[in-house]
Amino acid sequence: MKRLDLVRDILDTQVTDREETKMGRVDGLVLELREGQPPRVVAIEMGFVVLVRRLHPRLGDWFLRLRRRVKVRKQACYSVPWSRVLDVTPFCVTLDVEAAETPAFDWECWLRDHIVAHLPGVAK
Amino acid sequence: MKSTKVHLELLVGKEVHDSEGKRVGRLLSVTAERDGDDCVVREFLLGPAALLKRLGISTLHLVGFQRRKPVAVPWDQLDLSDPKRPRLRCRADELKGGKKERI
Amino acid sequence: MNMRKATQLALGIVTGVGGFFDIGNLATSAQAGASFRFQLLWALALGTILVIFLVEMSGRFAAVTRKALPDAIREHFGFSFWLVPFLVLTVVHFLVLASEIGGICFALHLVTGLPPAVWALPVAILTWLFLWRSIFSTIENSTSLLGLLTLGFVVAAVQHHPPSGELLAGMLPSLPHHDPAKYWLIAVGILGSVIAPYLFYFYSSGAVEDKWDPSYVGVNRGIAFLGMGFGSLIAFAAIVVAALVLAPRGIEVNDYHQAAMMLTDAFPFWGFILFAAIMAIACLGAGIEVSLSMAYTTAQTFGWNWGEDLNPREDARFCLTYTGAIFLSSLLILFGIDPLKLTIFTMAISAFVLPFVAIPFLLIMNDRKLLKEHANGWISNSVAAFLLVLSIVLAVVTIPLVFLGGG
Repeated sequence: MKRLDLVRDILDTQVTDREETKMGRVDGLVLELREGQPPRVVAIEMGFVVLVRRLHPRLGDWFLRLRRRVKVRKQACYSVPWSRVLDVTPFCVTLDVEAAETPAFDWECWLRDHIVAHLPGVAK
Repeated sequence: MKSTKVHLELLVGKEVHDSEGKRVGRLLSVTAERDGDDCVVREFLLGPAALLKRLGISTLHLVGFQRRKPVAVPWDQLDLSDPKRPRLRCRADELKGGKKERI
Repeated sequence: MNMRKATQLALGIVTGVGGFFDIGNLATSAQAGASFRFQLLWALALGTILVIFLVEMSGRFAAVTRKALPDAIREHFGFSFWLVPFLVLTVVHFLVLASEIGGICFALHLVTGLPPAVWALPVAILTWLFLWRSIFSTIENSTSLLGLLTLGFVVAAVQHHPPSGELLAGMLPSLPHHDPAKYWLIAVGILGSVIAPYLFYFYSSGAVEDKWDPSYVGVNRGIAFLGMGFGSLIAFAAIVVAALVLAPRGIEVNDYHQAAMMLTDAFPFWGFILFAAIMAIACLGAGIEVSLSMAYTTAQTFGWNWGEDLNPREDARFCLTYTGAIFLSSLLILFGIDPLKLTIFTMAISAFVLPFVAIPFLLIMNDRKLLKEHANGWISNSVAAFLLVLSIVLAVVTIPLVFLGGG
C-alpha cells in the first residue's frame, strides 16, 4: 500500500498520458464521502474552469458562461476516473489514456489544426 | 449506500472548527493510501504547521514555527456534510488524546 | 570531469558572457556612466553577486529535481499561491520583450535612418522565425557566440585606460553629489537589469531542456560564477566607457542616440556601427530568451506540452504563446513608444516585482524533501535573506523614484 499526500503529491501535479505526453495538471480532485467508510478519491479533474473556481466560485460561473460562446472544448471540465490512474510519481500522474483522444487536448488540437498548420516552415 | 461527492481543491484552506465551535486550524493536507484501484483517505492535517509540512521546510530554518505541530484528524472525525464549513465531530482536545488510526 | 561536462561548462560560460548584456544593462550602464561616472559601479557589483547565487540555485534546483521552477512552484505551492507571481512575471516578460525589440529596432534605425517603428514588425518576424525553426541548443549556442561581440565594450574600456583608483572607489556605495533621485533610480534600474526576474526562471527551464541531472551540480556552479561573473564585466566596461566618453562632454543619456557615441573614441571609423551591431545582437539574444521564458512559464503553469526541441505541431500552445508575446509586444514599438523610456521604466518594474518572484523561489530552495542534501545551506540562505530584504526595499522605493527621478 502506497501512502500519499493528496495535496502535495496529486493536486497541481503534472498529468501525462501513456506515452508521457504532457496533458495538463490535476486542477481538482473529487472525493466520495461514504457512510461508515473512509472517503475515497473517485476522479481527478482538469480544466480552466476547475482552476478558476478555486479562486472564487463566481469566477467559475462567469467562465462557464464565456465558454458557451467559444466552443472549442467539448466539455468544460475533463473528469478522469481514479481507476485510470496508472502511476503517481514525484514527477507526474500518469493516466491510462492517449492525450489526443481526450478533452484535455481539445485546445491543443484546435490550435494545431487551425493556426500552426497554416504557418510557414513548421519542420525544424 | 449513501454517498456524496466533494471537491478536495475547494476544501483546502478552509477553516475547521470543533464540535463546540472552537477554531482548530485550516485544512491544508490530506493523507491517503493507494491500494490497487482504490485511493482511500486516512487522515486530514490542519493548521499553519501543516503548510510547512507540505512544503517540506525544515523547522530549523524557520525559528518560531517549530512549537506548533500539525493537528492530525482521523477520517471519521471530520464532518464534511457542509464542505464550506468542515467541522470536527469531537472537541479539539479530545483529538490529541483520542485513538488515532496509525498505519 | 568528463569531456561532455567540460564542453557544457565551456559553453555555459560563453553563454553567460555572451548572453549577459541586454538592453537593460546597456541603458542603465550608459546612463550611470554618463551622469555619475564610476559612482554606481557598486550597484553592478552587488547585483552581480546576487545574480550569481540566484543562477546557481536555479541550475542546482533543475539539475537535482529535473523540473523547471514554474513547474515545481505550481506543484508545491498550489495554483492560488503561484497566480500572483505568475501574473507579475508575465507582465515583466512582456515589458522586457518589448524593450529588447525596441533595442533591435533602434539599432536598425541608427544604421538605416528609418524610424524604429518601421522595423517593429520585421524584427518581430525575425525573432519569431528564429524560435519557430530552431532547436534549443542552436538558439543557445548561436546567440551566445554572437553575443561575444559585446566584448567590444571591454576592449574600448581598456583602450581608454580608466583610473584604477576611481574604479575601486566606485565599487563602494557612496552618496551622489547631485540629482539624488536620478542616482537612486539608476541604481534601482541597474539592480533590476542584472537581477532580471525572467533570468533565473528561464535558466532552470534551459537546464531541463539540456537534460541536466544531479551530476551537473558542479558544472552549474562553474557556469554561475564564471559565466555571470565574466558577463558582468561587459556591463562594467559599458559604465567605464560612458564615464570616460560621455560624461566629460556633459552628455546625459536621455536618448539612445547619445549612447550611440560611446564607442566612437575607441574605434573612430566603425565605433558607431559596432555599437549598433552590439545593440542589435544583444537585444536579439535577450529577446529570444525572454519570449521562450514567457512560453516556458505559461506552459509549465498549466501543464501543457512544452519544449523548444519539439516540432510546433507537438506543442502548439507553447509555440503560440511566444508567437503571441512577440507580436503583441512589438506593437508597443510600432505605436511609437520611446524605446529608452520604456527600458528604464521596465527595469524599475523588474526591481519592484522582485519580492513576488523571488520569495516562492527561495522558499522552494529550502525544501529538503525535494532537494535532499542539495537544499540551500547557510551561505545561500544568508544571501537569499539579504536579497529578500533588498528586494522589499527596492519594491517600496521604486515607484516614487520613477516619478521623482524623471524615468
